[in-house]
Amino acid sequence: MTLVIENVKKRFGDQMAVDGISVQVEKGDMFGMLGSNGAGKTTTFRMILGLIDPTEGLVTWEGKPLSYKRTNLIGYLPEERGLYPKLSVKEQIIYLMRLKGMKKADIIKDLRDWLERFQVPEYENKKIEELSKGNQQKIQFIAAVLHKPELLILDEPFSGLDPVNSDMLKNAVLRLQEEGTTIVFSSHQMANVEKLCEDLIMLKKGKAVLQGNLRNIKRSYNMKRIHIRADYELDFLKNLDGILDLEVTKDGGIIKVENEQVAETIFKRVADKGFVRKFEIEEPSLHDIFIDKAGENDNE
Amino acid sequence: MNNFWTTVSHTAGRRLKSKTFIWSTVIVMILIIGLINLNTILNGFADSDDSLETVAVIDETEGEASFGELLDSYEEGAFEYIHYTDGSLEDAVEAAENKDYDFVLSLQGSTTTLEAEFLSEGNDFTTAQQVNQDVQRVKEAVATNELDLNEEELALIYSPITFNEQSLTEGGDVRTEAEHMQAYWMVYALVFAIYIIVLTLGTMIATEVATEKSSRVMELIVSSVNPVTQMLGKITGIALVGVVNLGGLAIAAYIGFMISGEENFIQMIFNDGIEVSLLLYALLFIFLGYFVYGGVAAMLGALVSRAEEANQAIQPLIIVAMMAFFISLVGLNTPDSTFIQVLSYVPFFTPQLLFLRIGMGTVPVWEIAVIVSILAISAVLINVLAARVYRGGVLMYGKFSLKNGLKQALTISKKES
Repeated sequence: MTLVIENVKKRFGDQMAVDGISVQVEKGDMFGMLGSNGAGKTTTFRMILGLIDPTEGLVTWEGKPLSYKRTNLIGYLPEERGLYPKLSVKEQIIYLMRLKGMKKADIIKDLRDWLERFQVPEYENKKIEELSKGNQQKIQFIAAVLHKPELLILDEPFSGLDPVNSDMLKNAVLRLQEEGTTIVFSSHQMANVEKLCEDLIMLKKGKAVLQGNLRNIKRSYNMKRIHIRADYELDFLKNLDGILDLEVTKDGGIIKVENEQVAETIFKRVADKGFVRKFEIEEPSLHDIFIDKAGENDNE
Repeated sequence: MNNFWTTVSHTAGRRLKSKTFIWSTVIVMILIIGLINLNTILNGFADSDDSLETVAVIDETEGEASFGELLDSYEEGAFEYIHYTDGSLEDAVEAAENKDYDFVLSLQGSTTTLEAEFLSEGNDFTTAQQVNQDVQRVKEAVATNELDLNEEELALIYSPITFNEQSLTEGGDVRTEAEHMQAYWMVYALVFAIYIIVLTLGTMIATEVATEKSSRVMELIVSSVNPVTQMLGKITGIALVGVVNLGGLAIAAYIGFMISGEENFIQMIFNDGIEVSLLLYALLFIFLGYFVYGGVAAMLGALVSRAEEANQAIQPLIIVAMMAFFISLVGLNTPDSTFIQVLSYVPFFTPQLLFLRIGMGTVPVWEIAVIVSILAISAVLINVLAARVYRGGVLMYGKFSLKNGLKQALTISKKES
């Protein structure tokens, strides 16, 4: 076990930002943290980094709490991006990496490698304010990983990137994982999460509403998605119990149902009605699960 | 420790390398050199011939002595007096208008009722003063001559008395006037220096912190450096900038005096001008005062989200520094008043007021020790509190409000066991 978050709580005044979450991440794993805005992701990250102390519970890395003596082990890409606008790429990477304990010559050498990898070697001496937002983000990413951290925390790494840069970053993240880096990241883009991580936690108002291995979650998740192709309108299914959503298309529809029993009922109904060209039960996408869980009614 | 120095060099280096800093320092240095040599420069513009200005003297006095003759032969003054015998006052004025003379002096009455009228152009009032003095001298010479006093009698009148000061209490301390004036100027300089330091360096610290916050680079930095280390690193870095700046000004002053040919002035300051103990106190108070005010400035800077708000946030601190400044100005004349004594215990006023009391009055050693201890402890406590607020403040964004901001920052940074 490398990263262990044990029943961590954080209270700000009378508001619980994080309310008892426990997470274990193995070395070399990629762990996803999901949740809508204000769910407690950033607060959790800040507690992992030691920027704020948990009200209760403990965060440890290889058995010991993380402290400022070991910051060189961690890389961090904050959600709110920020670099010194007036400093050149080289100047700021040197400063930030010296804070991580690296030597200047090594920093410059590694920086050139990374700029090369991101296909922007000409930016070395450019000021940050002269770069486009997407390119600033590349530099921000380099600032998080140049010192080869063992634990990398990426808060919304893909937000604001075009598809090309997004892919470039994704490949870089995967490569780091191959090299043994443990990665914790948050994202709103479910497609990215599905592609990248094996384990995840979904937060809502500081509590875990869903947690575990992505495949298991999807398989055991009751909600199903049914694709139907038929030669008649599917509107008549609308009032059936257990239907969460009905999306009518030209030649059929996509129906979200609570569980498989409902699917069976639907199958019988459509078979009675007439010929069915296609009837397929799919596992829900992470997107569906996210909306189902995080978007749930707040009146609890 | 390593990160501390990295922060110090980053903070100081960025400032020292900035064009704004370099140019403002250079310009102020040039100004200082210019100010010190102001006289030389002004004289350079004045007409360059160094012959004395002439005064035509119309002597219409009664009595045996001729003031006109005596002034004519008087050579100590800054003017060349010429006994005008070629005509009346009107003629002399006309001659002056024709630039034959620079001024006209008309004398009337007798030795006892001597009346002088000085006719001049322009607005240099010192000219008339000097002429007045010269005439007075000559009159004194005439009068002593008429009274028939000899050298010894003259010496008797003008010889100075011996005046000594002693303390009422045994071992007490009494200042001579020279010492008093010197202390007065040192206190004045220090009080002013602290005010300027708080104003410029305090603002610099707050802006520095606020800038890192507004560019959002702060969160990245505090994930690598302990915020407390970072805060102290910034305060120290800005102090270095201040030292370089002041050093530049000192060098400028030195160059200025060298150019003006008044090196003696510098020697005077270092040989017998400055009391060493007072100088050491000044350094101690600047040091401690800087940390008291600097800690608060960093704390206030951490509470704002945008660099533009830093000035607003630091306003209360500047008002405190201003109060200390004005109280000190009042206190210069009443260093031993209870008012000043009591206020000198308040950490934000101690550097100025205790120095004032030490410089201008007499303070028992034990009291100095007590007040300095209070100041030192406060400096530490203020920085501990500032660090707590700083730790939470740097993660906080929103509209600036001192009270709510402080509360929120302390909530975020709450030490949990």
